Amino acid sequence: MTEVELLFDSWWVSALVAAVRPGGEQPAGEGQVTVLPALRPVIPGGALRPGWVVCVGGPGRGSLGLALVAGAAGGGGWCAAVGLPDLGVVAAIEMGAEPARLLLVDEPGGRWPDVVAALIDAVDLVLLRPAERPSPTAVRRLMALARRGRCVLVVDGDWPGAQLRLSVAAAEWEGLGDGHGRLAGRRARVAADGRGAAGAGRAAWVWLPGPAGQVSKAPATAHEGPVPRDHHRPVPRDHHGRVA
Amino acid sequence: MTGGGRVLVVWCPDWPVTAVGIGAATPGAARDGERVAACTAAARAAGVRRGQRIRDAQRRCPEMVVRDRDLDAEGRLFEAVVAALGGLTPRVEVVRPGVCALPAGGAARFHGGEEPLRVLAQDTVVELGHDCGAGIADGLFAAELAARAGAGGVIVPPGGDAEFLAPYPLAVLDLPDLADLLRRLGIWTLGAFAALPAGDVAARFGAAGARAHRMAGGAPPRPLAPSVPAHDRSVRVEFDPPAERAEQVVFAAKRLAGGLHDGLRADGLTCLRLAVEVGFADGRVDERLWRHEGALSALAVAERVRWQLAGPQPGGDACWGGVTFLRLVPDQEIPDEGSQQALWGQVTVTDRITRAAERVQALLGHDAIVRPVLAGGRGPGDQVVRVPVGDLPPAGGGGGPWPGRRPAPAPATVPARPLPAETTDAAGAPVRVSARCAVSAPPAGVAVAGGPPRRVIAWTGPWPAAERWWDPDQARRLARFQVVTDDGRAYLLAIEGGRWRVEGIYD
Repeated sequence: MTEVELLFDSWWVSALVAAVRPGGEQPAGEGQVTVLPALRPVIPGGALRPGWVVCVGGPGRGSLGLALVAGAAGGGGWCAAVGLPDLGVVAAIEMGAEPARLLLVDEPGGRWPDVVAALIDAVDLVLLRPAERPSPTAVRRLMALARRGRCVLVVDGDWPGAQLRLSVAAAEWEGLGDGHGRLAGRRARVAADGRGAAGAGRAAWVWLPGPAGQVSKAPATAHEGPVPRDHHRPVPRDHHGRVA
Repeated sequence: MTGGGRVLVVWCPDWPVTAVGIGAATPGAARDGERVAACTAAARAAGVRRGQRIRDAQRRCPEMVVRDRDLDAEGRLFEAVVAALGGLTPRVEVVRPGVCALPAGGAARFHGGEEPLRVLAQDTVVELGHDCGAGIADGLFAAELAARAGAGGVIVPPGGDAEFLAPYPLAVLDLPDLADLLRRLGIWTLGAFAALPAGDVAARFGAAGARAHRMAGGAPPRPLAPSVPAHDRSVRVEFDPPAERAEQVVFAAKRLAGGLHDGLRADGLTCLRLAVEVGFADGRVDERLWRHEGALSALAVAERVRWQLAGPQPGGDACWGGVTFLRLVPDQEIPDEGSQQALWGQVTVTDRITRAAERVQALLGHDAIVRPVLAGGRGPGDQVVRVPVGDLPPAGGGGGPWPGRRPAPAPATVPARPLPAETTDAAGAPVRVSARCAVSAPPAGVAVAGGPPRRVIAWTGPWPAAERWWDPDQARRLARFQVVTDDGRAYLLAIEGGRWRVEGIYD
């Protein structure tokens, strides 16, 4: 009897717990929305917390939005896209999204706040491109609904009071030459900017997208990082043969 | 129909072709995918048959007009026929667009005999401008064949169904597998099939075989439930204020049909027919019977309500004075032998998602919220079909090789309508691609949708694609390019007929 108690008290139980949960990349906790592994270093806590509003902006916003959708819809959650008739569904699937878990509302028009409010209760992530600048009422209402519905709102555009802003700070396309090759992927430095401690100054180099369309960890480019350039890959050159 | 009663069937030949607006004298066909769904008499005379491949049919009859089958139009156009027949007897049952059945007993007494009734029914439809046949028999199946027999239909004497059916080939059962098997067993006609002992047929061919056997013998395909329904299972929804738009009624019908099916299923029942009653604000009640047999999904019921609404009112979408109520009444309830349809494929949909989708549909209409389904095709826009939530996805997946499809990665932004673009060479002249796929000069600048031109820093192409060259209306020849511009963007461009467009943006 005492031996058994000793066993449970012993230090290695806690060591075992620590071993099954390796440090660094934490798995998504209860109720959190999963993020693609390559983007976890950028996101505070490694997963999106329900009720958050995440803004994506600048060049590469399309891919960033899709990558967040792919992370949530690939991890068993449901996603909805509101107001994005040009969403690249194939690209989302290549990034890991399950198409059967996607709902698309292409043309919500002026009713987009009502549509988002209806969906926010049911799905885990809503990707939204508002038709116009959201009114303060709509902002307050949808943020409250997102907190209550335990849903993440990803906004393609600007949103006052967003917890996290993701953007592509630097990017370089690979694989295309002067009349030959094919687009093989884009190395992008994804940077996060957030309110308070959330995410300020976090950044990571990722393939956005990679050669098979996936999002994965990438080495830094030759301009900024110590990793040498891959010499087998054609370097983008202009018509006169100069490196762009 | 009901046991003992005589049935009059009115059959409009080649209805799918009539519905797409091809007259009987013109050789024409309605296509369902690659096959002929129906053809006109003129085409049939040239050797075209139902189920033939379009290409084979066109070889036999090169001048044939081919149009896509339009189920919606079939239902809508047939409404006029049904409304006219409703003047003879109020209980008209639509078996499918093109075929409807009337109980002949009372009507024959009123109109002075079965032959006058048959001729009257035929004249009523012919006056609307449609060719038709009318036949009377004891059972629905025999009556349908009687309508097709002779010149304009015949009357099968009471009790003579089995004798009338006996010489018909097995093909009329519309069960090719069973017919094929029976032929190999030496059974060629319905009479020979009906002569087999019922027990042995059921043991060897199962429920479907037993059903066909009963039909071949002139008996109703399913024995009717002998008991009177224990309670009223009809469902009803009121509209207050009256629903002005057909869309609103159809949407309610879908939910209502779902509730009706749930109620029936809970008791292990299904219904042979479904009566749809639509009440209008001016007090008129429009009632229509639809063949159900457990084969209609909630969505299919909603579709029938849409046809019914589109029928008598002038001006399509607007309902006269608005619809005040909608009632669905299951008729002739029978035990459900079971057939399941998975509406959502493998992924199970929670009630939460269904509710949210319905709320969006209530806000914006049925087509507003869609699910993406992968389909075949080369362009980034062709590879995805958007299916409204609740609809069945189209048959046939995107499998199979698509030579010429762009390899991964796919563009993150695919404009719903391709954006126009201007591609120029270093001298500022437009870049062209010759018929032999030679590029006039390397592209140096791209202006998208009238924006300022950006310098091209890398490009590749052309990748030619010749699509649907066998179909002069849909054939297209185009060449695709990938370019990266100096602002860090990458585009998938296509040139077709000398015009450039953006098919995808690698955003």
